Parts: sequence; C-alpha cells; structure tokens
Amino acid sequence: MSAERRSHPVYVAPIPRFWWVRTAPFRRFVIRELTSVFVGLFSVVLLLFLLALSRGEQAYRGFLDWLDQPGIVVLQVITLAAVLYHTATSIQLASQIQEVRLGGRTVPRHLLMAAMTGGLIVASAVVAYLTIEL
Amino acid sequence: MPDGTVVLKVARYRPDRDAVPTFSEYEIPYRDDMVVLDALNAIKDDVDGSLTYRWSCRMGVCGSCGMMVNGEPRLTCAVFLREFRPKPVVVEPLRYFPVIRDLVVDISAFLEKLKEVKPWIVREEEQSVSEGEYLQTPEQVEAYKQFSMCINCMLCYAACPVFGLDDDFIGPAAIALAHRYNLDSRDQGRDERRAILGVHWGAWDCTFVGECSVACPKHVDPAVAIQRTKLDIATTSLKSVLWPFGGRK
Amino acid sequence: MAHAEGPPHPVRSEPFYWLLFTAGGGVSAFLFPAHIVILGIAWAAGWLPDDALSYERVLDLVQNPLTKIYLFVLIVLPLFHAAHRIRYGIRHELRVEENKHIVASACYGAAYVGTAFTLWVLLRI
Repeated sequence: MSAERRSHPVYVAPIPRFWWVRTAPFRRFVIRELTSVFVGLFSVVLLLFLLALSRGEQAYRGFLDWLDQPGIVVLQVITLAAVLYHTATSIQLASQIQEVRLGGRTVPRHLLMAAMTGGLIVASAVVAYLTIEL
Repeated sequence: MPDGTVVLKVARYRPDRDAVPTFSEYEIPYRDDMVVLDALNAIKDDVDGSLTYRWSCRMGVCGSCGMMVNGEPRLTCAVFLREFRPKPVVVEPLRYFPVIRDLVVDISAFLEKLKEVKPWIVREEEQSVSEGEYLQTPEQVEAYKQFSMCINCMLCYAACPVFGLDDDFIGPAAIALAHRYNLDSRDQGRDERRAILGVHWGAWDCTFVGECSVACPKHVDPAVAIQRTKLDIATTSLKSVLWPFGGRK
Repeated sequence: MAHAEGPPHPVRSEPFYWLLFTAGGGVSAFLFPAHIVILGIAWAAGWLPDDALSYERVLDLVQNPLTKIYLFVLIVLPLFHAAHRIRYGIRHELRVEENKHIVASACYGAAYVGTAFTLWVLLRI
C-alpha cells in the first residue's frame, strides 16, 4: 500500500523545524557536527599564516601581531575546545567502525580508543618537537 | 493482584472523522509486572474496543509492537509501566511513518526498501543438492551473526532523523541486513548490493547520528553496519580506480 | 520508490568525498590540537622560545619540500572534511532541502578554492 495505491487517508506528522533541539542525543550530535566549522576555520588560519610568510618579513610579523590580540586568542581557545571534542568523538566513532584483529581475536573497543589516544599524544609531541626544537 | 491504577495517554486517529490525531486518557488497574502492551490490551478489552494497534508474540521477537512510548521508539511488549509510573505513559504511533489509524502505521515503504537490498543469499551458481549444504565455520557465522538479529521492528527508522526528513533514505535496518548478507561467506551478491546501497538515498545519506543503534532492541548496531558499508563501497571504488582488473565478488 | 526511472545507479562522487572527509577528520583530529596550541595560544602566552616563530627560522622550515607536502595535507584535507559536514548540516540541520546539487557544489567548491590557494601559496614560498 504505497502512496500511489492507497485507498484511505493517512496522517503524516510534520517534522519540527529544529528537530535537533528536542532531545539531548540530537543536541550532542549537532554540537559534534558544528566542530567541523572550527576545523575548517583553523585550516584557514594556517593558510593565512602561510600567505603572510610568502609576502615577506613585514607581512609575517603583522600576522604574528594579529595572533597576539586577546580576541584572537579567545577564538583560538574556543577552536581548540571544539577540535578536541572533534578528536574525542572521532576516536569514539572510529573505534566502533574499525575492527582490528590481532592473532585471530578482535581488539576490544576500549583498548582501541586508548591506542588512538596514545597516537594523539605521540603525534602532538612530534609536532611540537618539529615546530619548536628543530 | 492490582496495585492501584495507571494512566495512559494514547494517540487516537480515525481517518474518517479526524483531521489530526488526538490524545485519549485511560486509567486502568495496575499490576507491577505490566508492560505497555498489557495496558493497551486492558484498554481494548475493558474500556474502548475501538483502540487499534499491532502486536503478536509479546516477547520481543516478532517486531510488531513498535510504538513511541514517552517520545522514544520502544517495543511495547518490553517496556514496563513501572519505568514511568506514577507519571502518565504517553503512547503514540511509530514516528516518521504515515499513520493509518490510532497506533497503526503504514510500513509498506520499509518493506519495499527491504526487498530492494536483496536480503537473501545471492549466488552466481547454486550448488547442486548432491553436493550438500554450504558449510560455514563458527568464525564465518560470527562475522555476520550480530546483523542477522534484526526483527524488522523499525524502531531504528523512528529514531533516525535523516529518515524523518527524507523517507527515500533506505534506512538503518535495510542497510544492516544488506551488510549481513555481504558478510555471509555463502553470498556472492556484494557487487549488486554495493550498487544498490551506493545511490544518493542509500548509505551516503547517513550522517552517523547513531540513534538507530541506541533504539535497537536486539543490539544489531545498524549505525556501525552503515559506516562499514560506506567504507566498503569507498575502498572498493578506490581499488577499482587504482587497480581496474579482476576483483572478488 | 520515488526515484524509479530504470535501475538506480550508484553515485560516483560520494565515495570520493567520503574518503576525503574521513582522511580530513583523521588529520585534523590528531594533528590540529598541537598546532592550535602552538600557533594560537603558546605564542601569545609567551611560552615559546624567543626565536621559535622567527621569520628566518619558519621560512627555512617551510621551504623544505617535505614540510610543504605536510602543510598541504594538513590544510587541504580538513577543508574537505568541513565542506562535507557543512554540506549535510545545511541539508539536515538548517533544513535547506532544495538545490542539493548546488549546495554540495558550493561546499566542495570552496574546498577546491582553498586547495588551489594553498598550492599557490606553498609554491610561492
């Protein structure tokens, strides 16, 4: 009895305009998706950094001064919070999707998450070393 | 032995009389071991025989009695009234499906989607009967077992906002069942199903909200099935670009 | 089914953008936190050694071809990750259900523009 062949009326409930405000899981989902805006934003910041670098020393110093502004630092802190939530949820989701088998047995999910978190720490340390010490 | 009463607010919709559903309140004798389905049956038996709803096994294996209980998709045979009492229990038809009458929804869209994904063993050539059955090791069964537990109750569809917004979306259960057969060692229909699930309204519409898996009473985890399906389609696609020869079914 | 005009054909572009989205998610998840702390917070807070971000040092670092490849991946993949999620956010959360193709093209288009810009800037350095 699909719509074309139905011989009786049916009631189709309308979806609320902002359906995602209604339940906590939906709200958490939307916050998770919003973190991608901050991800894109930081890509742009990196790009502006490189653009300033390509324009010579004066432009570069100007960009560093821009980074010094309190308003920009606040934005970066918010960006960091958003990106860390993105990282946490990505690890959560990836650990569900990716099955890793070692020696014929599946690695339990919490171990996978711990390994990925370890990966984050190692990657951060390597980035810090290469950026600051090298 | 009744222990007082319980109040249920049940959605009523008579297409010949009502433009929109309304709520009717029923107060019925309560026992501590009652589930929502028991209450609906009590209402129908003793209060209002016109109340219309689906149910069958009353033990969580047939998938017939899915409804919205206090705003969440539940199997009414599996929800104890004591979870909500003394507050009134609100019972509504399964969300995101057209309502035919009272608590009965039109599930034909789901049935069509189910058929579309070919939820059966697809073989290029059937083994002859004299060759015996298709044998599977316990590990081969384990590979798909979880996804075979689906009872087609459609609670996952009622939980999925993407399906709510676009009922063309093939949806969690159908994709999970397609995945079940893709993982079955006896099946040779993976390429066919990849093409079916690779359409706009197939696996790609899903944004991994994950509420389908939360709602599933049989722990099928359709959300994970869908993401693995996306991964499978994407890696197969990549392999065919990088290595356009051969390929397993 | 609303779309029945012959057998449905799988969409060729979706697996491609989904792979970029996944890769971009991984790159940003594991590498962005450190970069944000260093560039966005540590510098302004004065936690970095004085010459850590000096023009000469950074220019020298970035001019290395390996650094350029790293930076290209670091910037471009997360752009596609954001584009993909924003595309679906516009459809599902903002309820803009018409002109699906235009919205998708605009989102990925912006990512392509970012890609071209990144390539150009990196080649100039």
